[in-house]
Amino acid sequence: MSESARKKQRLSPERNMNGTPHAAARIQPSTPFRRGTSAGPTPGDSKTPTFRTPGTGRTPRGGPATRPIPARRTAPTTPHAIRALRERANAARTPGNNRRRSGRVQRETPRDILRDLSRALARDNRPTEPSPQVLPRRVRHSALDLPDVEDGPDMQAPRLSMPLDDMYDEDSFHDAPPRRSLLPELPDDVDGGTVQSLEFGRRAISEDPRFMFGGRQSERFADFSELGAVDEEYEVDGTFINRRADGLLDQTIDDALDEDDTTTQMRALTGRRDGRPSDVDLGVFGEADDDTDEPTFRFLIPERIRAPVLEEPQEVEEEERDWDDGALDAEEGMPVLAEDDLDDETAALHGDEPTNVDGIVGWESDHGSDDDADLTAYREEESALDRSLHTQSPERSAAAKQQAGRKAKELRISQRGLEYPSFPALPVKKLALGFMKSQGSKGQLSKDAVAALVKTTDDFFEQIGIDLAAYAQHGGRKMIDESDVIALMKRYVTFHLLYNCTFDISAAD
Amino acid sequence: MAQTLYPRATVKKIVKAHSNRALSKNVDILIYLNYALFMQELLNEAAIQSKQAGERGVTARSIRRVSERTLRKYKG
Repeated sequence: MSESARKKQRLSPERNMNGTPHAAARIQPSTPFRRGTSAGPTPGDSKTPTFRTPGTGRTPRGGPATRPIPARRTAPTTPHAIRALRERANAARTPGNNRRRSGRVQRETPRDILRDLSRALARDNRPTEPSPQVLPRRVRHSALDLPDVEDGPDMQAPRLSMPLDDMYDEDSFHDAPPRRSLLPELPDDVDGGTVQSLEFGRRAISEDPRFMFGGRQSERFADFSELGAVDEEYEVDGTFINRRADGLLDQTIDDALDEDDTTTQMRALTGRRDGRPSDVDLGVFGEADDDTDEPTFRFLIPERIRAPVLEEPQEVEEEERDWDDGALDAEEGMPVLAEDDLDDETAALHGDEPTNVDGIVGWESDHGSDDDADLTAYREEESALDRSLHTQSPERSAAAKQQAGRKAKELRISQRGLEYPSFPALPVKKLALGFMKSQGSKGQLSKDAVAALVKTTDDFFEQIGIDLAAYAQHGGRKMIDESDVIALMKRYVTFHLLYNCTFDISAAD
Repeated sequence: MAQTLYPRATVKKIVKAHSNRALSKNVDILIYLNYALFMQELLNEAAIQSKQAGERGVTARSIRRVSERTLRKYKG
């Protein structure tokens, strides 16, 4: 605050020099908002100091919206200054805040529009007849009265609403009007905007003074006892019906916590056993919009924390194992030995099952106990706790599949246990399009066709790598040589020759 | 640097990972030529297959159908 005050002090003389030049005025403004100008122009200054009339609206009683904002202002640095500036901007943007302008329509509401319409129509209009049943009951038809009424000096301005006494007839087929809270009769000149309607309490809980100051303690004796359960949710206060805030809060927290095993931690987090219940909704975080439906201090217990505890522990393990298997299946070229490891793991899990019967869930520590090197390498991306949290989420399978696919695209593991990248799609597509054009067909390949070609390419390289390793081992070499590839291709050639020979033989026959 | 015909380092890495052996200096070029032959054969077969099935152009289904046969043909 002192920072911003100093800024104002520093900035205000310049602005005042640009103000209205008044030669006679050496008068310093005496309002505390203007006090900074006393440090400004000295009496020997060449420029004249300023004098402002109170009508310029620069007095501090003009409210925050009319308070002058200097043209050149450095950006505020302190959080108080930033917040104050933001609030001032919001107040300037909101038109309903300048309440001082009496007699002006501050904000045009549908009620105002209707009122204008009624004033425009009131002179030459007649009250509506509610139903044709009422008509024969009248002595004279209303159309007969028309010239007399118009000849009359002035008639009373009719109400545009339906006549209430006619609507409440017993033999009328009309239903009761939906708003029963209307006061029956009011004179026309009374502005019934707030009188005629009863309304529920619209005040935010955070602004409620009773909650703000903690309330009378005698109202809350039941809350202090541990057993005290707040039964009613509403309390009637005059014409206002308030929803009891702390009861609602406690109820939601209880709902969230009763299904959970980590209740003690959450209770320790919320601190609701030892603190005053009204501490929860002090007006600090209060937002006036959602006061009853959404308490501002609610803890959202995510679904995935809560749900696996409710189930059987073996089921969780089974599901996790299935998830692992699914990831394995989705990932092609996974080594066989890793699957063996997984089988070992599942065997160990089934061996662990009798220890888990007593309901204490130890799934995380179980996996931690038999951690193989491969398994830890397999789980290197996310910890076991995260995966167990993911097990119950509804998008689990899709996410797992997507993750497996992404992992398969980035890094695959060969039979030898080495990681290798997938062949990029663009050279495959180029090559294939070149071949297709040479075949004479149109050079078009759909996206999944390219994907199939890439998959076949990967299969081909896997096959040729294994074959070349076999050839090199047969030749007693550590390194794959050109001769291996040539020997491999010679086998193709003989294969082709075999085809050609059979073709030749059959043609010769 | 000019655009290479194929990602040479990637081919080397893939074959090395599958064979668990080192590659001599220019084997990857031969391997890539072999792969080009394989792709030609595969696309020929896929074109024939898609024409027999009455499809327009080479589709993923025809490629998948002929890929196993062609791979077996190129097995050493």
